[in-house]
Amino acid sequence: MNATAAVGHPVEAALADQPARGLYGWIATVDHKRIGILYLLTTLVFFVLGGGEALLMRIQLARPNNTFLSPDAFDQMFTMHGTTMIFLVVMPTLIGLANYLVPLMIGARDMAFPRLNALSFWLLPCGGLLLHFSLLAGGAPAVGWFSYAPLSETPYASTQGVDYWTLSLLVLGIGSVAASINLIATILTQRAPGLTIRRLPLFVWMIFVNSFLVILALPALNAAIVMLFIDRHLGTHFFAPANGGSAVLWQHFFWAFGHPEVYIMALPAFGIISEVVPVFARRPIFGYEFVAGSTVAIALLSFGVWAHHMFAVGLGHPMDLFFAATSMMIAVPTGIKVFAWSATLWGGAIRLTTAMLFAVAFLIQFTIGGLSGITFAVVPIDWQVTGTYYLVAHFHYVLFGGTFFAIFAGIYYWFPKITGRRLSERLGKLNFWMALIGFNTAFFVQHFLGLMGMARRIYTYPNLPGWGLLNLISTIGAFLLGASVLVLLWNILVSRRRGQPAGDNPWQAWTLEWATTSPPPSHNFDCLPPIRSRRPLWDWAHPENPDPVVGGASARDGFALEKNRVGIATFLISEGCFFVMLILAYLYYNNQVMPGPQPGNTLNPQRTGIYTLCLLASSLTFWLAEKKLRSRNDSAFQWLLTLTIVLGSVFIFGQGREYLHLYHAGTLVNSNLFATTFFTLTGFHGLHVCVGLIGLLIILGLARAGDFKNGRSAAVKSIGLYWHFVDAVWLVVFSVVYLRLLL
Amino acid sequence: MTTQQLMLSAWNWNPWVLAICLAVILAGGWPSRFRFNRLAAWRLAGVSMFFFTLTSPVDALADGYLFSAHMLQHLLLLLVVPPLILLGLPSAPVPNYFKRGPGKWLNGILRQPVATWSLGVGGMWLWHAPVLCNAAVTNGWVHCLQYVSLLLMGFAFWWPIIGPWRRQWLSPLAGMVYLFSACLGCTVLGIIITFAPVEVCSIYLHPVDRLDLLPLLQNQWGLTPAKDQQLGGLLMWVPACLIYFCGIFGLFARWHGDPGDEAVISESPTPNPPLNKAHGH
Amino acid sequence: MVYIQYDLLSGLFGQHLNRLAGVNSLWSKGNMSVGHIPIFQHFSPETASMAHLFTLVLLICGIILLVVIGIIGAGLICFRERPGAGEPRPYFGNRKLELLWTLGPILIVIWLFILTARGMHESDPAANREPDLIVIGHQWWWEVRYPGSGVVTANEIHFPVGQQWLVHLQSADVIHNFWVPALARKMQMIPGMTNHIWLEADAPGTYGGTCAEFCGAGHSWMHFSVIAESPAAFAAWLHRQEGVPTNTVPETARDGRKLFQTLTCINCHSLRGVSATSGIAPDLTSLADRKTVGAGVLSNTETNLFRWLKNPQAIKRGCLMPDLKLTDAQAGSLAAYLEARP
Repeated sequence: MNATAAVGHPVEAALADQPARGLYGWIATVDHKRIGILYLLTTLVFFVLGGGEALLMRIQLARPNNTFLSPDAFDQMFTMHGTTMIFLVVMPTLIGLANYLVPLMIGARDMAFPRLNALSFWLLPCGGLLLHFSLLAGGAPAVGWFSYAPLSETPYASTQGVDYWTLSLLVLGIGSVAASINLIATILTQRAPGLTIRRLPLFVWMIFVNSFLVILALPALNAAIVMLFIDRHLGTHFFAPANGGSAVLWQHFFWAFGHPEVYIMALPAFGIISEVVPVFARRPIFGYEFVAGSTVAIALLSFGVWAHHMFAVGLGHPMDLFFAATSMMIAVPTGIKVFAWSATLWGGAIRLTTAMLFAVAFLIQFTIGGLSGITFAVVPIDWQVTGTYYLVAHFHYVLFGGTFFAIFAGIYYWFPKITGRRLSERLGKLNFWMALIGFNTAFFVQHFLGLMGMARRIYTYPNLPGWGLLNLISTIGAFLLGASVLVLLWNILVSRRRGQPAGDNPWQAWTLEWATTSPPPSHNFDCLPPIRSRRPLWDWAHPENPDPVVGGASARDGFALEKNRVGIATFLISEGCFFVMLILAYLYYNNQVMPGPQPGNTLNPQRTGIYTLCLLASSLTFWLAEKKLRSRNDSAFQWLLTLTIVLGSVFIFGQGREYLHLYHAGTLVNSNLFATTFFTLTGFHGLHVCVGLIGLLIILGLARAGDFKNGRSAAVKSIGLYWHFVDAVWLVVFSVVYLRLLL
Repeated sequence: MTTQQLMLSAWNWNPWVLAICLAVILAGGWPSRFRFNRLAAWRLAGVSMFFFTLTSPVDALADGYLFSAHMLQHLLLLLVVPPLILLGLPSAPVPNYFKRGPGKWLNGILRQPVATWSLGVGGMWLWHAPVLCNAAVTNGWVHCLQYVSLLLMGFAFWWPIIGPWRRQWLSPLAGMVYLFSACLGCTVLGIIITFAPVEVCSIYLHPVDRLDLLPLLQNQWGLTPAKDQQLGGLLMWVPACLIYFCGIFGLFARWHGDPGDEAVISESPTPNPPLNKAHGH
Repeated sequence: MVYIQYDLLSGLFGQHLNRLAGVNSLWSKGNMSVGHIPIFQHFSPETASMAHLFTLVLLICGIILLVVIGIIGAGLICFRERPGAGEPRPYFGNRKLELLWTLGPILIVIWLFILTARGMHESDPAANREPDLIVIGHQWWWEVRYPGSGVVTANEIHFPVGQQWLVHLQSADVIHNFWVPALARKMQMIPGMTNHIWLEADAPGTYGGTCAEFCGAGHSWMHFSVIAESPAAFAAWLHRQEGVPTNTVPETARDGRKLFQTLTCINCHSLRGVSATSGIAPDLTSLADRKTVGAGVLSNTETNLFRWLKNPQAIKRGCLMPDLKLTDAQAGSLAAYLEARP
């Protein structure tokens, strides 16, 4: 009966492939499937934690003038709830699903960089522990998940909560960026023959686009967090208005990350829905090109809408109007998606499995969240409803009613692939209806609370007519929702052992992950079906009626990219964004004269110019060294490499001298905002130069050991790209900081 | 002066502009005997945008009054007129005179995306160096040079995306990266202009009121110099990026509309696994 | 005609909310308690414009939602899997339909954008003169200054009905958000920056306001009220605030005055004629006039003030006024003194 087993590896054989079993096997694993499972399990723990925090808050709010939680405890709860759910649950769950599924869906053996993959996973528990450690170190952060300065500055948040928050987010941010770089490299370079980019399953396409959002948006957060950390620990005043800093700049930086972040949490969910809805409607997605294109549109627009979080800041009408326009525009591609999913249902043969039920609920709840989102783009309405429970209701409709319902759909859909057994449909239906009723009870009434004037983030409220009742209803709904999650956990536990065996393709789905066994062997595939369209397994099962061939019959598209170059290039894009943020901060603060040291009388452009020439020359020598490497002239290569290192060191020496000079002149990082931004910008660049020098030294060592005798090395190319990047950044920094003084 | 009067009276019938418009219409329409088709529509749109940019009240306002009007002109000349004209050109093979001598050199630039990108984005940045920006407003020749250079840089920028020589088009994904990075470039500049407390073009701070417009602009339109600069920065930031985005969507549509290479038949190199569809039921 | 529909709708919606909240007469004019803030009840031209816009946009969004639910619902009902029937014929999309649901929303968005621009103009006119009022947000109370007369008060804003007042908003510490839903838009108070709003009331009454941006432990109890009164009543109120209060305090409160001066009260609180510290804690000159203590946490009675003085931290956790460990007698006479002052 099981023909696959005849040629493929049975589950046992697949497990025998694993180098190590047991706990150690899991800790040391670099298998994308195991890492994916680790991601999902870890996020499940944090999900329960974050949900528990939410329930504590709902108990406190269940009746007026309640004293269950003190204001400080409540403030810690909502800060932890937001941070946990966003950075420790939604993002890593989606990354974990992508981790498990993307290589399978593109017919690959593993991710492009399996070890980097393990690193990005292990940064997640580290970041999570750092954040929660704050509870033992004087209290969790109590400033809200967006930590508006100056409330998050030392005078107003004196415990170490915010410090742990910044460190944790930095660690998690590095992990997310690493995972995204890996996913981009995987999707660009590891696809099976025939799987051109135009034939990618929509989930993979959306993960691909989403990964770009991550690498472009997270640097903005990292830059802001670094500045906050410097403020708190070196006594500087980036965001302290009393000393010339700007509270508004934090908001700009944070939301420049924060709004793309909303789509980072939504796009993969769209991807899940785009897989689940067609399979259970038994129809291909309606208008693949429009769904794929609208994803690009959302990603692009998401960078230009952040100030709609700031309509109440008083940025002025021109600014508000432009951002209202872009924010409304983003409704168009989102609408395209909703219509496409809905139209996919029509003419199909719908199977209302639990996964499909969650997907349908997603469609409607996400539409509600999206439409209430439109009311926030209409500026005068935003002026009334922002910062109220109407907003809380809105984003929970998007993030819980949307993303989480999609994740639940994805769990029910892919669980058979991951474990080889189906989740119980009976428990699943119970889970679904409890979640649906609980969620809508908890959050729909919050729209009304907001309209009645209940501001968000209040730990209690006076006994006003209606408020107590609506809050109580909301609390009851929240507990029902919490119970539904317990049902899900129970279902997973039970079905994991006793669930109905699933077989390879229980849903008769069409994408490649269903072409292998459930669970897949450690090498994923023994062999792949031919891929000519977006539904290779449909073509396989219906040879009489295959899908039209997409983009011609050629097995490859024009992207013959090498994974190391893709990896380092995307990494450098991310780094570039970080530096853009630092440079913008420098420009922002150095446009007016301020008391204290001035660039004009503390910096010496001519002398720094000479060191700059050294740095630029080092790029040239490295380029020559690479040429020598290609012509197999090893001694010249080593000689030029040494010269590069010397020139780079001269630059660092020059920077050190300049710093020393400033230090003796009494210019310290906290002297004024010029000094702060100058040291931050050049210091981070210097750090990068040092990292580059270490890399070059390693290359030199390897070269001496004779590693590059064959004339090719991805490592040399990667370090080279990095080194040229560092030099290019300096060129910009030099023009912005020093050359400006000469004009 | 009221808004209505301004709209009616402040037109600048520059004979050079009229001559160029006429020349483009004639030269573009001649080969097809002035048949009106899609290409002609694009060309006509491009010519009318060009005409609008340099003769309408926008030009009068840009001439020392409003930084934002100047920015609008800038955007139209760099990002709107060139792509519209290019879209109106029929596709053609690379002519022979671009294969040798100075033509080859020129084509060399047009084939190098880094070069055309730098021209397009650099044009934006270059003319907003305070010295050049002020010079362009005060000196007629610099002003003229600015217009011409913006147009040329615009043509160079869009050439690898929608130029008439299809063989030299960038691949769709590369083209998307090309346009998106350009958008980032002008976003950064837009952000700097929007938030910079110091005026980029100090000339617009104290306009000389030749046309008796200041009361209208500052009281009725509410455009104080600070707001004016903010508006200018926003124009460069948001609408400019939207134009790049349109380009990206165009590329996406072109990519997905491409039927692909139907001639090559290739089998998957791996043998087909005996998939069992009914398995698990 | 269109406006009649708006009003009808917002009326309906308001009533619906009323019913839901079990509120009847409380929402009528002039009877708004602190923190009780229905968005659809508007008492100024600015909020009227916002409420109309909101109603219209909700209507548009509601129709869109119904369309989507209709499409999905009909799809779910009509196209269920039937046993025996094979796989449905693959169908990959319809370019015309896709363009339709791209262009349709674009048109709606353009319409919404025009509405937005008009609404912004109506509900937030530009500032063009010196402010009539300066409100400064503090952790966690509101400093209210009348620049014309030099009067300073806290947590209560008195102003005349029918006049349009320009209010400057500032912050002394962190970001706050000034929000009187019935009268004006929200606006953040940002340290180092001055924002403005227009304040205007159609009818006399007490309108609730609150801080709408999380600002620390006391954020939940950072309410205030706006009291719109007839110009004559307002002038009388202002006059009362301008004069130095008489020093004839009743016998019971004599000790209070001494305590106020000898304990640490005057380090933070100003009291015209007694202490002139400014900007640290609320000015207590007109305390007896106010309706609440502690920015809305208690109603202002002598007993409540006594409770507050005994231990502010027990009533408003985290507030910056320390527990001074007053004896009952001390707290009693201070309360009597402060409540009797005018």
